[in-house]
Amino acid sequence: MRGATNGDNDSIVFGSSRRTFLSAAGAAGTVALAGCAGGSGNETVTIASLNPMSGAYSSLGPAQRNGVELAVQQINDSDEFDYEIDAVYDDTETEAGAASQAAQEVVQQEQADFVFGAISSSVALGLNEFASDAEFVYFPGAAAVPVTGEACNEWVFRFETSTAQIAEAISAYTVNEIGSNVWFHIADYAYGDSVYNRTRERMQDANSNFTEVGKTESSLGSSNFGSYISQISSSDADAVILGMTGGDLVNFVNQAANQGLAQEKALVGPTMAFKSARSGAGSNAVGTYGGVRYDPSVDLGDNQQFVEAYQNEYDGVPGNFERVGYESIRLMVRGMQEAGSTDPTDVRDALEGGTFTTVLGDITLRESDHQATNPTWMGELVEGDGDMANVDLLSKVEGENTLPPGSELGCELN
Amino acid sequence: MTFVADLTEQLINGVTLGMVYVLLAAGLSIIFGVMDVINFSHGELFALGAYFALSISGALGVGVGFWTALVVAPLLVGIVGVAIERFTIRPLYGRNPLYHILLTFGLVLIINDLIKLVWGTQQRNLGVPGYLSQPVGVAGIQVSLYNYFMIVFAGALALGIYLFLERTKYGMIVRAGSQDRQMVRNVGIDIDKYYTLVFGLGAALAAVGGIVLGGYQSISTGMGNSVIIPAFIIVVLGGLGSFRGAVFGGLLVGIIRTITRTYGGTEFGEVAGITLSLPDLEGLTIFLLMIAVLLVKPQGLFGNPEFQDEGGEEGDLLTGADGGVFTDSVRMKLGAAAVGLLAIAPFAILLTGNDYYIILLNRVLIMAIFALSLDIVMGYTGLVPLGHTMFYGVGAYVAALVMIHYTSSFIIALFGAIVICALIAWIVGSLSIRVSGVYFAMITLAFAELFYNAVFKFQFTGGSDGLLGWDTFFGIAGIGAELNGINLLIAGFEITPNIVFYYTALILAVASLLFARRFMNAPFGSVLQSISEAEERAEFIGYDVTKYKRRAFVISGGMAGMAGGLLAVKPSTFIISPDQTLAWIHSGEVIVMTLLGGMGTLFGPMIGAGVFIGAEDILSSYTEQWRLVIGTIFVLFVLFVPRGLVSIPSLLVQRRQSAESDSPSVGFDESEVNTHD
Amino acid sequence: MTETVLETNGLTKRFGELTAVDHVDLEVEKGEFRSVIGPNGAGKTTTFNLITGALIPSEGTVRFNGTDITNMPPHERVHHGVGRSFQITNVFGGLTVRENVRLAAQSMYGDEISRREAMFRDKDSFDELTDRTTEILDKIGLRDRADVHADTLAYGDQRRLEIGLVLATDPELVMLDEPTAGMSSEETHETMTLISDVLSDQSLMLIEHDIDLVMRVSDRVTVLTRGQELASGTPEDIATNEDVRDAYLGGARDE
Repeated sequence: MRGATNGDNDSIVFGSSRRTFLSAAGAAGTVALAGCAGGSGNETVTIASLNPMSGAYSSLGPAQRNGVELAVQQINDSDEFDYEIDAVYDDTETEAGAASQAAQEVVQQEQADFVFGAISSSVALGLNEFASDAEFVYFPGAAAVPVTGEACNEWVFRFETSTAQIAEAISAYTVNEIGSNVWFHIADYAYGDSVYNRTRERMQDANSNFTEVGKTESSLGSSNFGSYISQISSSDADAVILGMTGGDLVNFVNQAANQGLAQEKALVGPTMAFKSARSGAGSNAVGTYGGVRYDPSVDLGDNQQFVEAYQNEYDGVPGNFERVGYESIRLMVRGMQEAGSTDPTDVRDALEGGTFTTVLGDITLRESDHQATNPTWMGELVEGDGDMANVDLLSKVEGENTLPPGSELGCELN
Repeated sequence: MTFVADLTEQLINGVTLGMVYVLLAAGLSIIFGVMDVINFSHGELFALGAYFALSISGALGVGVGFWTALVVAPLLVGIVGVAIERFTIRPLYGRNPLYHILLTFGLVLIINDLIKLVWGTQQRNLGVPGYLSQPVGVAGIQVSLYNYFMIVFAGALALGIYLFLERTKYGMIVRAGSQDRQMVRNVGIDIDKYYTLVFGLGAALAAVGGIVLGGYQSISTGMGNSVIIPAFIIVVLGGLGSFRGAVFGGLLVGIIRTITRTYGGTEFGEVAGITLSLPDLEGLTIFLLMIAVLLVKPQGLFGNPEFQDEGGEEGDLLTGADGGVFTDSVRMKLGAAAVGLLAIAPFAILLTGNDYYIILLNRVLIMAIFALSLDIVMGYTGLVPLGHTMFYGVGAYVAALVMIHYTSSFIIALFGAIVICALIAWIVGSLSIRVSGVYFAMITLAFAELFYNAVFKFQFTGGSDGLLGWDTFFGIAGIGAELNGINLLIAGFEITPNIVFYYTALILAVASLLFARRFMNAPFGSVLQSISEAEERAEFIGYDVTKYKRRAFVISGGMAGMAGGLLAVKPSTFIISPDQTLAWIHSGEVIVMTLLGGMGTLFGPMIGAGVFIGAEDILSSYTEQWRLVIGTIFVLFVLFVPRGLVSIPSLLVQRRQSAESDSPSVGFDESEVNTHD
Repeated sequence: MTETVLETNGLTKRFGELTAVDHVDLEVEKGEFRSVIGPNGAGKTTTFNLITGALIPSEGTVRFNGTDITNMPPHERVHHGVGRSFQITNVFGGLTVRENVRLAAQSMYGDEISRREAMFRDKDSFDELTDRTTEILDKIGLRDRADVHADTLAYGDQRRLEIGLVLATDPELVMLDEPTAGMSSEETHETMTLISDVLSDQSLMLIEHDIDLVMRVSDRVTVLTRGQELASGTPEDIATNEDVRDAYLGGARDE
């Protein structure tokens, strides 16, 4: 791809970079300048963050970016790291074509060797391929299993918790503690399918009484779930696994509450505890269950410092996307620190199989698939202070137990 | 639960959704019927209603707030609608409805970005008073009270509109206007005065729909986008300009979507070891339904059969071809110079040390071919394919599938894309061209949506993720090289795969343009031009107009397929996904590029593609609200430079001449722009 | 023994409840100048449209030179020899006068242009076509204005071009729909002279409501009222026909 620049990392970039103003305009950039004045002789490295600021996931993209901006600010402020970050941002538009264009721009134009971003599985898979082709370190923000499964490659590391890990947390609890008759309702796309496959499999393993009462599928982006809700309501299921995210999930939960389904059946969604889902569903989310990838209350690693810093900066507690953005950037820099280099190949080698202290405690980027061994929780949504429900953590699955071997998920790097 | 109770519950769900569609489609349909405006921004007005309600309800609290919002928010949106009509749509009356597409497409971008700016992108919950959101069980049928509220409230409103249309003088004039404007004018009524009222009313109805649905689901910035296509389908299904059609179509689509979703894929027995099941066609049904209805009854279920004969009243398309200040030879020289510049551009770009601008130009070249293909039908036959991206998308998928499964030769991949797309164009064209222009636009849109939804359904198209993981072989039958492996050093310049692709695409783009120019100057193209000048006359000097249009559409489809195929071949493409290729927004974009550059000139749309992509790239690096800016540019363009960029030189000349002659009217006003009409 | 060119049999067109044309039987002979007159709403224009193919009849048949053309689309009728002119001048305004005529002539050369030539050969390089175009331009007297855009022509010249387009399709029968509508008497005279000059070899069928004009130019006249044929005959026959007189007095306020 980058024939003109490969093996020639010192090549001078002609012309001014049009996008630099963005990093300077953002909070991160201003602090970076202040950091420069304080520290001395730190090497500057360009890191790109590509977030869905428009399109289907535009409600999640800004959260992801907030996390990134906080990490950049802290790293540039702190003496702990030998590197200054020059952060560049762009919009994936939740669409593979626009994301690819944006990625080309940051990698070609801005010479970013480290890229974080994407939430949609399609966008992340496209960037996976690009990373492998252009040889830069990529941290995807998508949760779909194939990103570090079948589509994994040596340049991709994921701190986002994979759907397989969440499935582990909700499967055993649901089938053992709530009831063994389970209905699956999924959005008909890659994420929905992976939720269905993983949770069903883990439930079978966890309890021999598990019965799949029924399964319904809605198109991605459906807005009316009344018919499914009626169907589920008239079945003898104890619990409903909801394999969908974003607007689909919120709309389902709101309509389920209105139709009284929430009082009859336990609604369990891998992403139900997400802040975006809770804010969309308001009090309708109370009484439902969710897989928890992250909760600001957990006392692991340096999470409490992160939460405090986040509150100071943004006046609110961080959620899952914030922590993924935040920690993915930190992991890149920790990799550089470990490698003592900003060469992507060196950093990649340093990250592979490495163990790092994060907001989720000590995690390892597994050698086999570069997936972080994050712990997961089963959570219940309870009445909150305002309109938004709070999350009560019910049980935890330790990081090393959340994942089967990489080969089982379709990836065998090492 | 019994099957009957179950079915009843589903019917109630279907009617609930259907009522929202009724509110949306009623306004859209009357606006189209009376004003001939295809209002793409209707969905955004719908969303705007929900967001206004959110603010009102937030300020006043859920109980009072909800009811206040239900009255005040639609009024506010109505006022917005009135302003839109007054300041943007009114100057366009008498022009072809095509310009409304460009205009309202610009409005979509503007309103959507303003919503994001004011309310943020977070999904929001519009509080509904507690007593409305209780579940109610009647005879074993359990649905929310809010469902009944939605049905009753929207039903009452629809009835009110019906009475207004049937019983009042205003209503009768509006109704008559939606059937036959000329007749209303002939009896001495100034129908134009009613346009503002109609547009405001339609906007307010959409807003009510947004609020009611917002309370049922949630409020998000994408809500307008998600309802606009079904709303169009309903309008066409029910019959353009027909209120009864909108009501019937809305309920029908609501019910059908709900029922197919529930019972689709249901297995209902086994015969001789074969499982019988209903096909799972959720998402496809309404498009299939619309295509079926239009084929049997082109005017829609309740449409006025004579409606389509009104064609003569449509305003002229303003092609950029006439009134140019440059002679043909100057134009040829400019063209040759442009191609020459493009040919040496990579060397200048390589001096910057990276490929980025080459990648950007690669995209421009692909879109230029795509826009050129659209111009062949839109600029020369007057047909407006609202779903042209189907060829771009299918072309990309076919080329990727060929390279994944059969051979990695890019020549065969492109050939496959062209052939399949030409075939699809022939089929779609055969089904739709005999029907009038608006229906052609809508049927192509329906087919595009059909393909868009279909790729989600199938395993072999990769579902929502799309297709990835193919290699491109630059050559055929083993003669050539792996495209991604190309890395040559020629005279100090590194030839990357992107550069190889660039020259390939440049050659294909120039060849496509020359091919199009060739046949436009040959007997075939001369007939196309006669059709765009006066279709009826062309028929009566003995040309089979339908056949000529279909041929043009087949050529156009094949060429758009090649553009899509090139997308898959492009070395900087790693994935072919549905949203990237088949989403309706791309059909809108390519129309915008074509009009922006100058329709009916062949090279104008190609320039339009370059300017569009360039503007997008530059604007998006300066502001997050670039859509707002680009939308505003479209609106200004439609109003002041309707013949596109290629007409600017002659506009400038006119301007200077009129300034010299001390004429009171300076520059762009309609009478001067329209000199030949 | 004269030859029949056009023959309609029980020609009927209904729009919902309204029967616009009700079992009309017409016969036009080769070389004849036939006029169809009648008060407004008599079904003249509908009859015209049924013969040219703009409308398809509800009942009855249209035969042309013995061929059934009842359900044929307009463009095929043109190739069988049925030409038409338009009431409101309808030429290709944005194209040159020459190109207008050339297009009409090209339509008749369809079979001699191969598919390949249709796509790739320059439209002006067909000698036979160019000659034919020039011939027609001469006939209609517009050769010296051949290179201007049709929409810049004066009204009278546009009418000439209109007739030229019909002529270029080499018709046996020309259908004329009120060719002099809205013209001064001088212009009317000029137009009728042009028609009788240029279209002297063709059978003509004129739809008209100007009785005086019709009486002057026609060989035979058919009178329609309320969709039905009231009378047919020479202008002299018609002038003395009682029924026609009543109908016209009854319909006078419509005029």
